[in-house]
Amino acid sequence: MSPVHFAFSSTFILGLTGLTLHRYHLLSALLCLEGMMLSLFIALSLWTLQLDSTSFSASPMLLLAFSACEASAGLALLVATARTHGSDRLQNLNLLQC
Amino acid sequence: MHPTSLLMSSSLILILFLLTYPLLTTFTPNPKHSDWALTHVKTAVKLAFFISLLPLFIYFNEGLEVIITNWNWMNTNTFDVNISLKFDHYSIIFTPIALYVTWSILEFASWYMHTDPYMNRFFKYLLTFLIAMIILVTANNMFQLFIGWEGVGIMSFLLIGWWYGRADANTAALQAVLYNRVGDIGLIFTMAWMATNLNSWELQQMFATAKDFDLTFPLLGLIIAATGKSAQFGLHPWLPSAMEGPTPVSALLHSSTMVVAGIFLLIRTSPLMESNQTALTICLCLGALTTLFTATCALTQNDIKKIVAFSTSSQLGLMMVTIGLNQPQLAFLHICTHAFFKAMLFLCSGSIIHSLNDEQDIRKMGGLHNLAPFTSSCLTIGSLALTGTPFLAGFFSKDAIIEALNTSHLNAWALTLTLLATSFTAIYSMRVVFFVVMGHPRFNSLSPINENNPAVINPIKRLAWGSIIAGLLITSNILPLKTPVMTMPPLLKLAALAVTILGLLTALELAFLTNKQFKPTPKLTPHHFSNMLGFFPSIIHRLTPKLSLILGQTIATQMIDQIWLEKTGPKAIASANLPLVSTTSNIQQGMIKTYLSLFLLTLSLMVLLVIY
Repeated sequence: MSPVHFAFSSTFILGLTGLTLHRYHLLSALLCLEGMMLSLFIALSLWTLQLDSTSFSASPMLLLAFSACEASAGLALLVATARTHGSDRLQNLNLLQC
Repeated sequence: MHPTSLLMSSSLILILFLLTYPLLTTFTPNPKHSDWALTHVKTAVKLAFFISLLPLFIYFNEGLEVIITNWNWMNTNTFDVNISLKFDHYSIIFTPIALYVTWSILEFASWYMHTDPYMNRFFKYLLTFLIAMIILVTANNMFQLFIGWEGVGIMSFLLIGWWYGRADANTAALQAVLYNRVGDIGLIFTMAWMATNLNSWELQQMFATAKDFDLTFPLLGLIIAATGKSAQFGLHPWLPSAMEGPTPVSALLHSSTMVVAGIFLLIRTSPLMESNQTALTICLCLGALTTLFTATCALTQNDIKKIVAFSTSSQLGLMMVTIGLNQPQLAFLHICTHAFFKAMLFLCSGSIIHSLNDEQDIRKMGGLHNLAPFTSSCLTIGSLALTGTPFLAGFFSKDAIIEALNTSHLNAWALTLTLLATSFTAIYSMRVVFFVVMGHPRFNSLSPINENNPAVINPIKRLAWGSIIAGLLITSNILPLKTPVMTMPPLLKLAALAVTILGLLTALELAFLTNKQFKPTPKLTPHHFSNMLGFFPSIIHRLTPKLSLILGQTIATQMIDQIWLEKTGPKAIASANLPLVSTTSNIQQGMIKTYLSLFLLTLSLMVLLVIY
């Protein structure tokens, strides 16, 4: 595997690890999510250049736009959590577990 | 046929017929008149006794022995079972003695059981027992012996439990049957061995063909049978418990006749035991242990019948020791003399018990030498004969046994134990005499002491004569089969007498300490050991059933019901699946972390796979 591919793959996996194994703050999960988005942006850009498929050169921009929306949605959730639960401690958020 | 042998055979058959005739008359549906017991049964036994004297005198005069084979009962291709009666040295001498003792006991029982509404049935049971015993004694083959053996066992059960309303009597009867049954295992094993290896149950063929075999196992079986029937150590607790039966039963069965059946079996098969040193040593050590242990237990008992029962057990141990010394004839002599004085001791005890209004505790008797002089004198004579006072009946057998013991090459432990037991015999006999006969009365003043009834006096008188002269009569008339050792150092010769006198002096010393305080507090442990019969019944009678019940519970309930039918069957499926199910549903609780970590895991694995 070429070093660049290795770099963004490992970034993605590390971000995913951080998202999965977070403990205290919801914000750290959101940050990891942003990191994953960033690595995906780099991946898309790289693949467009490597595979010489110029029709895909707009995809990183689209991803960035959507990631911004998603980040704002996440932040809105964070604010909502802080309003209803008083903090963003993750122990309060086990909604699906009875 | 020669007139003498004709006379002998006919007298012997007549005896058996005379004894069975009263039994046959009971098979009619009409109840017997109240005198039936006396007019039929006692007369039959008395007559049979006088007739049995004829073969006895013929035997003494000519040494004639008779084997009568009556009837071929059944046979397979290679194996015959006959009805065969053997009247040799042992059965010709034993039969008159058994009949004499039974005659006296029946006469006594007519007084003792006078108020019992079922006296006729009692006498019928005693007669059945006597017939079974005669069958046992005159058996020429193992099958007939086994019939007699089981017969005396069953009659013992029925007679011990005579007062069946009493729970203790039922327990004692059951105990007797169970312990005898354990002994029967040995007898049946030996019979099976004989049938398969020697092809016969006839004694003659057994003795002839057994020379080349290793006889340890069948002899062990016979020893176990004797241990059960004759109350040797290990299977002995039934004998003191058997005192729950009426005194005539104790006198007949558990002193003179039934308990000697085991020893008699060993005497009958003594030609097989002569060359087998293992069996002889086992007999010797078992007998020595029995005699000492039961003599120790007798020292602190307070029930007069139990003391005499333990005394019987001790003498049976002595007989076993004699067999271990390879002296069956001396053992037989002791059986004969022992029958007289032991039966008399029991009859005197019965007379005393009835006189004191059914009081059996010697601590509540006393001073009877003034109030019942005849009974006390006979009790004393019996005790003296038991301890082996020179020239009474017991002396001829007991002293001969101890002389043989002292002059043979044997286990010194067995010798020591037997001598110790002999001195203990003197001690507990002295204790009985001291508590019952001497001193001042310790019972109520209005006891119905009356020994003027001839039904009481005559039997005891007859047995007293027997206790005095029987030893002399028998030893003067029989030929010894083995030569006794005639010369020995004076100390060995006087050993029995010396230990007896030592025991007597010790007992006298202890007796006169009863109203003084020797120590501030008594030493209780030896007393408890002796009084509780060495704790043998307390341990075995509770432990064995408990272990059996626990084993039963473990196998039936826990092993089969709970495990094989539940846990490895239906519940196994459930218990195997439940962890799997709970793990799976635990994973799918809805925690995002679980889902994301699975995703992470899969992804990293994939990446690793692609790289390598």
